Amino acid sequence: MEELSLFEKLLREGPKAVNLGLREFAQALEAQGIKVVHVDWSPPPPEAEELADILEKLL
Amino acid sequence: MFRVCQIQKRRYFDSMFLMRVTQRLRAEPGITEAAVVMGTPANVQILKELGFPEQELAQAGPDDLVVALAGEDEAQIRAALARLEEFLSGRSEEIKLAPKTLEQALAQFPEANIAVISLPGRYAGREAKRALEKGLNVFLFSSNVSLEEEIELKHLAQRKGLIVMGPDCGTAIVAGVGLGFANVVRRGPVGLIAASGTGAQEFTSLIHRAGSGISHAIGTGSRDFSDSVGGGTALSAFSALEADPKTEVIVFLAKPPGPGTLAKLAAEVRRAKKPVVACFLGIIPENIRREWPGKLVNLIDEAVIAALELLGHPVPDFLCLSETALRSLAKAERRKLGPNQHYVRGILAGGTFCYQAQLLFHLRGIPFRSNAPLSPEYALPNPLRSEGHTLLDMGDEFFTQGRLHPMIDPTLRVERILSDGSDPEVAVLLLDFVLGYNASPDPAGDLIPAIREVKALREKQGGHLIVVGSVCGTEGDPQDYTAQVRKLEEAGVLVFPTQAQAVKFILALLGG
Repeated sequence: MEELSLFEKLLREGPKAVNLGLREFAQALEAQGIKVVHVDWSPPPPEAEELADILEKLL
Repeated sequence: MFRVCQIQKRRYFDSMFLMRVTQRLRAEPGITEAAVVMGTPANVQILKELGFPEQELAQAGPDDLVVALAGEDEAQIRAALARLEEFLSGRSEEIKLAPKTLEQALAQFPEANIAVISLPGRYAGREAKRALEKGLNVFLFSSNVSLEEEIELKHLAQRKGLIVMGPDCGTAIVAGVGLGFANVVRRGPVGLIAASGTGAQEFTSLIHRAGSGISHAIGTGSRDFSDSVGGGTALSAFSALEADPKTEVIVFLAKPPGPGTLAKLAAEVRRAKKPVVACFLGIIPENIRREWPGKLVNLIDEAVIAALELLGHPVPDFLCLSETALRSLAKAERRKLGPNQHYVRGILAGGTFCYQAQLLFHLRGIPFRSNAPLSPEYALPNPLRSEGHTLLDMGDEFFTQGRLHPMIDPTLRVERILSDGSDPEVAVLLLDFVLGYNASPDPAGDLIPAIREVKALREKQGGHLIVVGSVCGTEGDPQDYTAQVRKLEEAGVLVFPTQAQAVKFILALLGG
């Protein structure tokens, strides 16, 4: 049998989620009985962002 | 009037949380206006137009928190500002202990298989890329992700056997679980691949109400079917649904694809073992009619009926309201109108509902205006002023910049119902009510006071206002479809089982 891709595994197993952004989206998943870890996200400091851009270009 | 602005550098909160903080500040004594928002250019512009001090606002950047308060008494404004910190820190302990990065979250939950991302567009692409690199599928709700980033994300996903639903993906249902704005529908044999969020909500809700169900509904994001993106998500979703043992029929729901994307999709459909329906919402060009190998329709109801027929599932009566029935109902309503009442005003939260209404008007040869026009000849010059028949997409960027979507925040729709509904030349208001996870807890209740107000006003003037609506959802939704319909009918709204039928009824009214 062919090995399932990670997308096909998601369809087979259902979502196990990490939520970045609106907290309500995580709560709606919890209300459906889904395990979800919510990230208390905040924007990276500008220097970190610039550095990430430079690194990305170098790599 | 005193107007005070405070900028807090590099302090981020999500828009729904800030909406609640804003509401709490508005309820403080003596506060006439309040806004607690991130300092995006759109938000800053709105605050400037409202008369808040430009000098302070000029200091605000998109990662800064802007607090704007207005009131008659300066002391009351200071008192409200003093309470702000309490409202902002009113987040649960659980949130304070939550991981701060994707990496920390994965350390806590290594089995995770999807990242659900609704961050501001300028950060969402980078986080989505990180998620893909860590082997996670992505549901990317955020809009304002650049085309280049979208293409890069989709290539990366393809290489790793992952999917990127989005950017600008409102709705998905994966193995019975709703992501984003989604309705509670039973699982069943219909697989959906949809570029449009409200289109997917209407389709999956109608399949459910017809007694069938959804295996998976994969959102692609609004640009996926265009040739600039090339259908990467749609093609991955198609091959997965083709292989999925629970899916028996596959439905595409999108605006007509570009020629290059059409050729790729058509080649896959020709090879497919499962029956396929394409609902290409819009004016379908001749090349698509010629080349599409499967069943081809252009209204959501028709796609639902086609899928049910392919399954051998009975098509319920509510999906087949006859033209004769609509015409006789229209005749009875038309008698109530005054001689100067001519116009239809659609004030819609769902982009696809606005689009579908326009398509039906266009096919019937009735001219109209829209802020999100089907083709340029229908463009509404000023979105704030309706002209003749106007069909408004209130979820369009013009209305949502710096605000929550009208499916969550009804403020602008209420204002528009009051202004357009009071226009003596207006005969009909067309409204939609979208239920499901993450939508307003009471979409009908949000608009009913305004509906009652304009209906009463017009009766007093010796006229009559016909309010036509459709409710997108199911009885399993947190808002309960049946309860919402009942509430609207009690308020005098003519509620149709599908949005296309609501529009067809209006066309019967106009048709004479």
